[in-house]
Amino acid sequence: MSRLFLFCVLLGFASAPWAADFARTIRVTELKAKPYSDAQTLESLAPRSRVEVLKRQSGWTQVKTAASTGWVKMLSLQLETAAQNKRGDSGLGALFNVASTGRSGSTVTTGVRGLSEEQLKNAKPDAQALQAAKRNAVSPQEARQFAAEGKLQAQSVGYLNGVQP
Amino acid sequence: MRTKQTVLMLCLLAAALPVAAFDLGNIDWKKAAETVQKVQKANADINEEQEIGLGEGVASNLLGAAPLLDNAEVQRYVNRIGRWLTLQTERPNLPWLFGVLDDDDVNAFATPGGNVFITKGLLARMHSEAELAGVLAHEISHVLRKHHLQAIKKGAQAGLLSDLANDVIKQQGADPRLSKLVSAGTEVYARGLDKNDEYEADRMGVVIAARGGYDPYGLPAMLQTLQALNPNDSSLALMFKTHPALGDRLERLDQLMSSAFARLEGQPDLAARFATELGARK
Repeated sequence: MSRLFLFCVLLGFASAPWAADFARTIRVTELKAKPYSDAQTLESLAPRSRVEVLKRQSGWTQVKTAASTGWVKMLSLQLETAAQNKRGDSGLGALFNVASTGRSGSTVTTGVRGLSEEQLKNAKPDAQALQAAKRNAVSPQEARQFAAEGKLQAQSVGYLNGVQP
Repeated sequence: MRTKQTVLMLCLLAAALPVAAFDLGNIDWKKAAETVQKVQKANADINEEQEIGLGEGVASNLLGAAPLLDNAEVQRYVNRIGRWLTLQTERPNLPWLFGVLDDDDVNAFATPGGNVFITKGLLARMHSEAELAGVLAHEISHVLRKHHLQAIKKGAQAGLLSDLANDVIKQQGADPRLSKLVSAGTEVYARGLDKNDEYEADRMGVVIAARGGYDPYGLPAMLQTLQALNPNDSSLALMFKTHPALGDRLERLDQLMSSAFARLEGQPDLAARFATELGARK
């Protein structure tokens, strides 16, 4: 049962969560043959051009236009609002039983637990839950081991634009 | 005791005034008293231990609002990513703690001292470990820059905070003044931070994720996903109310990242590990 479930989740990932999604360019955008700036330009897309989104790779998104398939800067796009959250759900939604239908219009009940503005203002402390959370904390050694397993390599990168530690 | 201190400070203040002002008749006593109050308030600096204590109180309140997700594997996974990221920062030795809240709202929270929570609703909308890392790094940045602590200080009743700073308030036990400060602190999460604090956490977050070896575009990708959600969905209400518009946040990141991050674009997003780790949930 759980194996079948896992299979479905993985299938959800493999079938590209971006499939059949659309976006519009938010400025004049060059469609590149490859996902880097000095790659060949295939087309120049006017602002508000509608494109089909295929996949993302770091700062680049692969898109399909009427004429060609290529790469644009990810942040030159605005994704279209998905009907009923379809686009935003990575496939893990079902896993976590997140209701996929909109909850708009639901009323806030003061006193019931939840993260609405009103509920936060009336929150009662749960010290036991905090103790339970602390049991999940990990040591720096364990974190380093985990990073190594994922082949993550620490980089030296300075803060941007006026952030002073 | 307090009166004595005030008198002493007034004397010091008077001594600091230019010689001409020694004609006591010319001193604006009301103004001087106000200055002393300001100095006292500014001096009410909270040390790290107190920051941690206050932050734990707020964390306990947040957990009162929404329970922890009952899944040790997922909690541990998020803690490993988060702790790795904190090792790339200027405050690696705080008692960092990460948690997934069992709530369908789309949101994330950081409390002073290093407690970071994200909701199940937000996690369910992510596609890779780099996106999760980006969001955690944004929250970590709030802790690094003490954004919530400053907001709590700004909103706190005068006196409460200096009491805390002077260690009058016991950290343990049910001191009503500490719980007052903690509940005032929790309200900051309903109200939201200053916009500039959020922009700062965005531009620090992408750097911290990149330092951890992740694809730095995880955070903007997540924000772009959120932008495409139905804005009328109530699960987004508080996050939208307490944060600047997603379009503004993305535009600022775009300007900053476009040239500076080209060399980091090959870093992994670990989408496969993300799927496996979360798929392992029974």
